[in-house]
Amino acid sequence: MDMNEIKEIFFQECEEQLAELESGLLKLNDGDRDPETVNAVFRAVHSIKGGAGAFGLDDLVSFAHVFETTLDCVRSNKLEPNQDVLKVMLKSADVLADLTNAARDGGSVDEARSKQLIRELEALANGEMSAAAEAPVARAAPVAAPVPAATPAVNDEGFQPIPFSFDDFGDEEQPAESGVPTYEILFRPKSELYAKGNEASLLLRDLSRLGEMSIHCDTDALPLLEDMNPEEAYFAWKISITTDKGEDGIRSVFEFAEWDCDLEIRAVEKKSEAGVEAQDELPMQPVPFDLSILDEPTDVIVSEPEPVSPASAADFGSNVVPMAGAGRDEAPASEQRAAVAQPAAGPAAASAASSAAAAPTIRVDLDRVDRLINLVGELVINQAMLSQSVIENDNNGLSSINMGLDELQQLTREIQDSVMAIRAQPVKPVFQRMSRIVREIADATGKSVRLVTEGENTEVDKTVIDKLAEPLTHMIRNAVDHGLEPPEKRQAAGKNPEGTVRLTAKHRSGRIVIELADDGGGINREKVRQKAIDNDLIAPDANLSDEEIDNLIFHAGFSTADKISDISGRGVGMDVVKRSIQALGGRISISSRPGQGSVFTMSLPLTLAVLDGMVVTVAGQTLVVPLTAIVETLQPEASAIHSFGASQRLISIRNSFCPLVDVGRILNFRATQANPVEGVALLVESEGGGQRALMVDAIQGQRQVVIKSLEANYTHVPGIAAATILGDGRVALILDVDAVVAASRGQSLKQEISLAATG
Amino acid sequence: MASKKAAPKSLSLAPVLDLNEATALRDKLMALKGSDLSIDASAVERVGALCAQVLVSAARNWEVDKRAFSFSSASEPFLKTMQLIGVDIEHLLAKETQR
Repeated sequence: MDMNEIKEIFFQECEEQLAELESGLLKLNDGDRDPETVNAVFRAVHSIKGGAGAFGLDDLVSFAHVFETTLDCVRSNKLEPNQDVLKVMLKSADVLADLTNAARDGGSVDEARSKQLIRELEALANGEMSAAAEAPVARAAPVAAPVPAATPAVNDEGFQPIPFSFDDFGDEEQPAESGVPTYEILFRPKSELYAKGNEASLLLRDLSRLGEMSIHCDTDALPLLEDMNPEEAYFAWKISITTDKGEDGIRSVFEFAEWDCDLEIRAVEKKSEAGVEAQDELPMQPVPFDLSILDEPTDVIVSEPEPVSPASAADFGSNVVPMAGAGRDEAPASEQRAAVAQPAAGPAAASAASSAAAAPTIRVDLDRVDRLINLVGELVINQAMLSQSVIENDNNGLSSINMGLDELQQLTREIQDSVMAIRAQPVKPVFQRMSRIVREIADATGKSVRLVTEGENTEVDKTVIDKLAEPLTHMIRNAVDHGLEPPEKRQAAGKNPEGTVRLTAKHRSGRIVIELADDGGGINREKVRQKAIDNDLIAPDANLSDEEIDNLIFHAGFSTADKISDISGRGVGMDVVKRSIQALGGRISISSRPGQGSVFTMSLPLTLAVLDGMVVTVAGQTLVVPLTAIVETLQPEASAIHSFGASQRLISIRNSFCPLVDVGRILNFRATQANPVEGVALLVESEGGGQRALMVDAIQGQRQVVIKSLEANYTHVPGIAAATILGDGRVALILDVDAVVAASRGQSLKQEISLAATG
Repeated sequence: MASKKAAPKSLSLAPVLDLNEATALRDKLMALKGSDLSIDASAVERVGALCAQVLVSAARNWEVDKRAFSFSSASEPFLKTMQLIGVDIEHLLAKETQR
């Protein structure tokens, strides 16, 4: 594994950490005060910082450091995580994400913004400095820049904040001034520390390497054997150490155990009485310098006659694994620990092993999954062909073969479902991205918005997820910019000045339904109507239902915003959204209630690798029409067909006229128009919201087909979205309904609207 | 180096006394409760704080029960670790030589 691969893994982990960070911050924003949440947030930033440091990503490290310092204030209850604080933190999380992306892909970051945030974070941290005086525990003092360390002095409170150095995993620490300072450390592990595979004795060993150390083990809490829980922590230690590594150096020893123990570090003047007293009041046991016997074989000095064998070192690692399941949160930290390559190889190896056990997932290249899916698609086709040929040749009614084929069919279907499930991913990452967009737009528009998400764990094909982000972003922007009213207006209307945007995902009958609801003013139908008239979309005297007016916003070039803002209203809003949703084989609808808000509902297929289609015949060719596009099918009667203009024909369906589109003619399958009465009409919903009747010769049936990309195997064909292989081994083309409808309107069949097909 | 007292029970410690061993070690010790005990720690390569806790707790328990508790022998890593984590077992070793 070369450096780039490791770096790539780091960035993947960063993504996870950032997601963790954001969801943690949002929880805090919702009033969650669980210390574990704060810890999770802190850990996320800390891990990013650690990994970034290992790769020398200085920008990332310095920003993460300031962020971490402020978070530490929250963690130690010096800073109340109120709304204002969290606003800054959420913005910082965004900048941290930007910095991570910039570090990965190159590109630049809005430096002014990050500088501004650094200032705000510092202000938050420093603002609490004065109030922190009574805090009993000396934490890493929140100072932003690496200030040269001053000699820590004992004051009345018993501690002095020590400027924090960036390099908390390096050896280069504060220069020793007059004499080497002595520190008094209280170390009280919690049971979790052991449960997560950390070992107090190893921490103490690492600590003893920092300098001259004496130790007192406080065993007062230890009950008698019969009353004790062997996996609970009873020991606590009081340590006096003379080291030039500074408090940071000491802290870095406990870096990954810090949240599983109580740790107090106090600097004492070497010659001061406090230090002597401390030594006197408890029987301190000096720690021998030569602890090399306790070292792992990987360490350099093994002078003792009884070195620990490599086998037992491995043993140690594997022994830890089962216990580590309890400490799932430990995993990222420990991976990061491995990344920064701490000298303590033993615990690092152990926790690296534990992380493997903690997260039972593997990262697989998407290509491999796609290849597998492709093969399963072939298998399904092959199975269909096999059963078809058996049926054709089977005159004797060999039931055993038929039964075997039935089982095979069931198995292939199950395999297909399972393989599809591999590609299925929760929509969570997309939803999380939306919360950032809401924040940014709320900021830009001066509105106060809350994004509520539901059903984040609903799973859908990865391709769908990837393509969902863009339309959702558009819609969220619209919802905040146009949908929600300004706070004053909301207050006047008796609503909560803070607007709510609700994003939900759920499974409904084999499709995923995503709803975006706002509690804003709803669609201003008068305005929409007027705008449509101004833009010549409808006639001034047109009589439109509310629903039809609402649907006007999906028309190209429609924007009701009075002024074109940066955020939305460039006139490429909802029509683009609708088109991308349709390209995914989905539908979008809107329902709006004046004064109460609007709901956009999107229904999408769970996968783009298979499709439910209607198999039809057109001029001797077999075509597949996506079932999602079809509203109904009907047998036209001669009386219902009306000619219109030179070659156009209309069909009257329930007292309304609908253009009749001859598919065979459009695709140039035949030169003359077919007789509608001899064929079947498929009523389809088209892009513009209107309906068209597609005329085909006959319907063969309805079945699920495996999509084969034409672009990948041949070239793009106008009017055709993709292809599939039918059970008889013949290739059938999948119709691109929108392109055909557009072509029927006199536009050439060159549109690039194609059904996004995989495979 | 030890002259054993009449019929003390003995217990040999496993080479690796990590957190997985702590429960087992306690169970073993509980089974030996009420009799004089001599522990052989000569094979110990690694000992963690949890097992140290169990041993210290056992030593006290034996003291309460007025039974002998001693280490017949101890490996270098065992002694060093005990010293490192500030657990004093010298008197247990010393007592052992007296008996």
